[in-house]
Amino acid sequence: MATAKDRKHFERLMLRHLDASYNLALWLLHDTTEAEDVVQIAYMKAFEHFTSFTGGNTAGWILTIVRNTAYNWLSKRNRGSNLISFEDVLHSSQNNSPTASGEMNPEELASAEISHSQITGYMKTLSVDFREVLFLREIEGYSYKEIAEITQVSKGTVMSRLSRARGQLRQIITDQTHREKTREL
Amino acid sequence: MNCKQAQEKIEVYLDRELTLSDRRDFEEHLEDCKNCQKMLDNLRSLSTSIQQTNYIKAPFSLRRKIKSELRDVTGEENARYGWTHLLGSAAGSAILASLAVWAMMTYIVDPDTTRTQLITELTTAHVRSLMVDHATDIITSDEHTVKPWFSGKLDFSPPIKDLSAEGFGLVGGRLDYLRLDDLQQRPAAVLVYKRRSHTINVFIYRSTDSEENPRLNKRQRQSYNLINWHKQGLSYWAVSDLNATELQQFAQLLRS
Ligand SMILES: [Zn+2]
Repeated sequence: MATAKDRKHFERLMLRHLDASYNLALWLLHDTTEAEDVVQIAYMKAFEHFTSFTGGNTAGWILTIVRNTAYNWLSKRNRGSNLISFEDVLHSSQNNSPTASGEMNPEELASAEISHSQITGYMKTLSVDFREVLFLREIEGYSYKEIAEITQVSKGTVMSRLSRARGQLRQIITDQTHREKTREL
Repeated sequence: MNCKQAQEKIEVYLDRELTLSDRRDFEEHLEDCKNCQKMLDNLRSLSTSIQQTNYIKAPFSLRRKIKSELRDVTGEENARYGWTHLLGSAAGSAILASLAVWAMMTYIVDPDTTRTQLITELTTAHVRSLMVDHATDIITSDEHTVKPWFSGKLDFSPPIKDLSAEGFGLVGGRLDYLRLDDLQQRPAAVLVYKRRSHTINVFIYRSTDSEENPRLNKRQRQSYNLINWHKQGLSYWAVSDLNATELQQFAQLLRS
């Protein structure tokens, strides 16, 4: 059984990643209450398996558990409901190849002033694995290798996912900007 | 490196993951290629936009819940988180039972429930200020800098004393909002002092009419000591994890 000493050790190593954990859960779930629940469950699960933690990257370790818990949560939430699967969302997007950026009009994107709330809104339309990779790279600043460890895929998958995520987000922004311009005319 | 090769590497370059030699080749190409420069600018502004999304502090209640539940697992006393723990984990009639216990306990500790709420509020504000690493809005040990900083923000002028000669160094000040007896948010000046590794928050706000007690009132909440007094229309609360004796010494110095 875990002792007070284990608990203190765990708190010292892991609670400093609570903000990162919470924000990751928020990015994945888009719901503050669910994010809180998931992080709490993840932390308890982490404590249960704390003896298997052999040292090293504490943030990576706890974030892995948080994202796995969030994915479990999502699969339960979506089971039996008529929600469109993430795969469908992924494939319905016509243009998310890495080279799409070359075909875009750079001025259009550069001139588009994107607000906080807009970008947050756009982000929600991305699939969960795209949001995850963007969060880990752009917000937390993890390397490809670290992201691969956290998300349990190969480095190559991380690179292509990141590229597709950026391409898709850029596409959404361009489409929106275009739509707003047309509305103005 | 030609344009096609460069475009394949452009994101890897942006993510600072290219090998040194690839990076050199890429930058060499970039210098002469307007197209790639534009693409890179685009990617950079996209990154910036993403990075501008809100980063939210994990709620204090979440931290508390986790700490409390961890103590459940280890079978430790949950005294510090006592009443929230009771509310959080009890079910059905057990909730009512623990609520009753809680009400009794708070009554014994402090007959005045609104006062209890205020003490909770002050303790929470104190802990929060340590947690978010945002104890001070203005960082200075100079009382003559802190005073004018407050004057534009409050309708009263909190007396500010540097007590570093007595071992209580003034670290700075900040503005906070407290929910008092009438449940109205009121602005409070907070002076932040340090004694060794202990932070002391002094909350100062306009007293209500009934409060004119210059005596030092001592309280304790969780592992924190609180001392309250009133002077010249202002209420003072010193909150710290510092021991009661030294906190009292501090309060006496500040009050004099
Ligand atoms: Zn080029």
